[in-house]
Amino acid sequence: MDNLTLSIYRKACGTLKYKLVRTTKVNKQYKKAPTAEDILADETVKALKEITNDIQDIVFKEIPTSEGIVTIIHSSSLVEKQTLEKSILIPLCDYIHQIHQLATPVDLKDFKGIIEKLVGGHTLMYFQQTHQLLSMDTYSAPTRAITDTATESTVIGPQDAFTESLQTNISLVRRRIRNPMLKNEDRILGTESNFKISILYIDDLVNKENLNKLRQRIDKVHYPIFTDISMLMQAIEDNPLSPFPQYYMSVRPDTISQYLLDGRIIIFMDNSQAAIVCPTSFFEMFTSIEDYYNRWTMASLLRMLRFFGFFLTILITPTYISALTFHPEILPYELLLNIQESRSKVPFPPIFEVLFIELIIEVLREAGSRLPTKVGQTIGIVGGIVIGTAAVEAGLVSNILIVLVAVSALLSFLPPLFLMSNTSRFVRYIFILAAGFFGLFGQMLALAWLFAHLLRIKSLGTPYMTPFIPRKATDLLDSVIRFPIAFTKGRKGISRAQKK
Amino acid sequence: MSTQTKKILNGYHVVFLVQSAMLGTAILTLPRELSAVGYSQTVFPLLFGVIASLTLWPMIWLNRKYPNENLFRINELLLGKVLGKIINVLIILQITVFIAGTITYYMDLIHSTTLPEQTNTFPLILLLLLLLYIVSGGIKSIARFCILSFFLTSGIYYFSHWAFQKGIVSHIFPLFNFNSHELFDAMKRGYLAVVGYELIMFYFPYIKEQNKAFKHALIGIWISISLCFITVFISVIYYSEWQLKNIKFSVLNLLKAGELSFIERIDVFAMTLWVFLVISTLAVYLWSAKKGMESISDKKKKYYLYILAIVIFLVIKLPFTRDFHEKLYKVNDYLVYVLIVWPIFLCIIYLLRKKQVQS
Repeated sequence: MDNLTLSIYRKACGTLKYKLVRTTKVNKQYKKAPTAEDILADETVKALKEITNDIQDIVFKEIPTSEGIVTIIHSSSLVEKQTLEKSILIPLCDYIHQIHQLATPVDLKDFKGIIEKLVGGHTLMYFQQTHQLLSMDTYSAPTRAITDTATESTVIGPQDAFTESLQTNISLVRRRIRNPMLKNEDRILGTESNFKISILYIDDLVNKENLNKLRQRIDKVHYPIFTDISMLMQAIEDNPLSPFPQYYMSVRPDTISQYLLDGRIIIFMDNSQAAIVCPTSFFEMFTSIEDYYNRWTMASLLRMLRFFGFFLTILITPTYISALTFHPEILPYELLLNIQESRSKVPFPPIFEVLFIELIIEVLREAGSRLPTKVGQTIGIVGGIVIGTAAVEAGLVSNILIVLVAVSALLSFLPPLFLMSNTSRFVRYIFILAAGFFGLFGQMLALAWLFAHLLRIKSLGTPYMTPFIPRKATDLLDSVIRFPIAFTKGRKGISRAQKK
Repeated sequence: MSTQTKKILNGYHVVFLVQSAMLGTAILTLPRELSAVGYSQTVFPLLFGVIASLTLWPMIWLNRKYPNENLFRINELLLGKVLGKIINVLIILQITVFIAGTITYYMDLIHSTTLPEQTNTFPLILLLLLLLYIVSGGIKSIARFCILSFFLTSGIYYFSHWAFQKGIVSHIFPLFNFNSHELFDAMKRGYLAVVGYELIMFYFPYIKEQNKAFKHALIGIWISISLCFITVFISVIYYSEWQLKNIKFSVLNLLKAGELSFIERIDVFAMTLWVFLVISTLAVYLWSAKKGMESISDKKKKYYLYILAIVIFLVIKLPFTRDFHEKLYKVNDYLVYVLIVWPIFLCIIYLLRKKQVQS
């Protein structure tokens, strides 16, 4: 596309040069000869026609008006008929002065810019008589209505969620933060597809160092196309090799507004529902905005459940393996008897038993998420009840293991951030293998690796383990235990905000 | 070498670096090492604390004279380049063998308690890889790991309360029924449990508030000392004098005194959880050895760390008799005492050569 536009532009320039020579000659014969500008405009429209020859939804339409014939050029897939009628066609026919007041003349020398405007939803108007080329923003692509969220629903609190439209999303945030200091910077990304991202921050709160770091990282991103913001997130992370997500992602306007007011930087992307929060700590992956809507007692309880649930989910089944393979002596006699009894028919070593049932759960989950909802439910019942019960009766796995695996599968879905729950499932396999080879010792080595890794990774240059790596003592008032609202009004240490 | 080192360690980092480097595997056998003095051993950890505080002072004093240099560099400055480098090589060797000794000791323990049916080669490689991973993050990430391991493992002390309940408190009154030979023996063998604080001489240049470093290091020392004290205290209460002398890992047996309905052997858990303490201790040592390699070659290279890890692996796996290994580690352990006294010697040299050195 780029080379093509360049060649057309060159061609246009060539014709212009030729015509300029001719017009200077002709000038003497006619009273009013076309100027160089006029010819350039003419050629631009011709070039546009040529270049959009194969784009069926770019429409060229000639309309007779009081100022002669006007060629309208627009993309029928990005501009709704109603919008076109209201803002272009009716004014052109009835109130043409309005068009001159509202439309802006285009820069004829920037041919690439003109093309970008056209495919970005602008409508171009070419006044043939006066050789004027005007443009007006008429972008009105069909968007989805604001609905409630399917992935981050809460019982208490606002129910609206972001949509795939950048403008709608920003308006949902602005509606909550009526502050002139809320700034948004737009950038165009993607080497092949030009799409917009918007960086939101509150100017008198945000840490400028963080902001500059983020800007630099975004400028360095070189990737053909991002179809969702989660791809951009991976491109601007500090540790791309880590299994842990390093930025929070949310589709809830209230969550995003709260983080903005804490001094964080938010990135939105056109055609992407979620927004990302930079920087974020490991602990915040287990918090939900609903924690602030709940009473502090219940909120603290839920947070503890989510946070320790993460460690439980990665440790329950590996401990089963270690205990049965290497250290049966750690179990009391009655419990050992119980487990051995339920395992008496199982011919495999514990590690294969666990891997077998864990993989079945993964298969069920993956199949369930791909199938249509109604079929998915059936599969859930078939998987959960039929395979589970049948596997035990067939002597493939033990009863107790089914309970443990089910509990750890449920626990893995506790984090509000789905990426984190995926991570916990991945990390669990490392622990299962470690336990299978070296028992409790292997498990502790894996745990030491996990902590060492968490302590090393950073989110936008800030340690991921804040507030456990202390940045601010008051952060602890809003960590695993959420103290009453009056104690939690300060901004978090991780934001390093300009105001406390 | 750079004259200006980046200051990255806060006060709490120093506290826990000192604390973690001291608390490794030696505490597990501390009551046995002190058994020469019988029930009077309760006061020994406190005595060690006083000695450690006193010997810490010359280290900090010397380091504060050279705020941007570590001990390796100070050796070269005070003793001349050649002699300094020879001493540095010896220090690195001492540290490397010390790490090998500690790992062997811990792996033997793991081998005998939790993994009796496996050879220790693969667990050993994993442990070394993990160590490399932590050390390659730099001293600050080691310090963070030390903080975490302290809080993660301090819960073990809860499980010692059964032993306290079952013991006889009157054991703790010191009878002073030992002679000077026994005293010396206990001091010599027991003090190994508290060494590790001398490593501050290597990471001192990275400390932000160097004028408060002495205070922070003291806090670290006394946290470790109080943990040692609790260990010895409960052991004395719980065991008979004969048991103190003959049970090798008496601390693990203390935990066995516990009775929980859902778990039988807490000591197996404790033993494996101990890997956090071992790794945090060794990480500081390994990092120091790496700094030594850098100062000898005057270059900063990442592969020094891998060389050290391979050397450690080879030392552990050397095809010599067990007796030889044990002797090697024992002799090497006592060389630590030289390193602790070394700064006093350097201080004297500094005072004698003050004018020369400053010029």
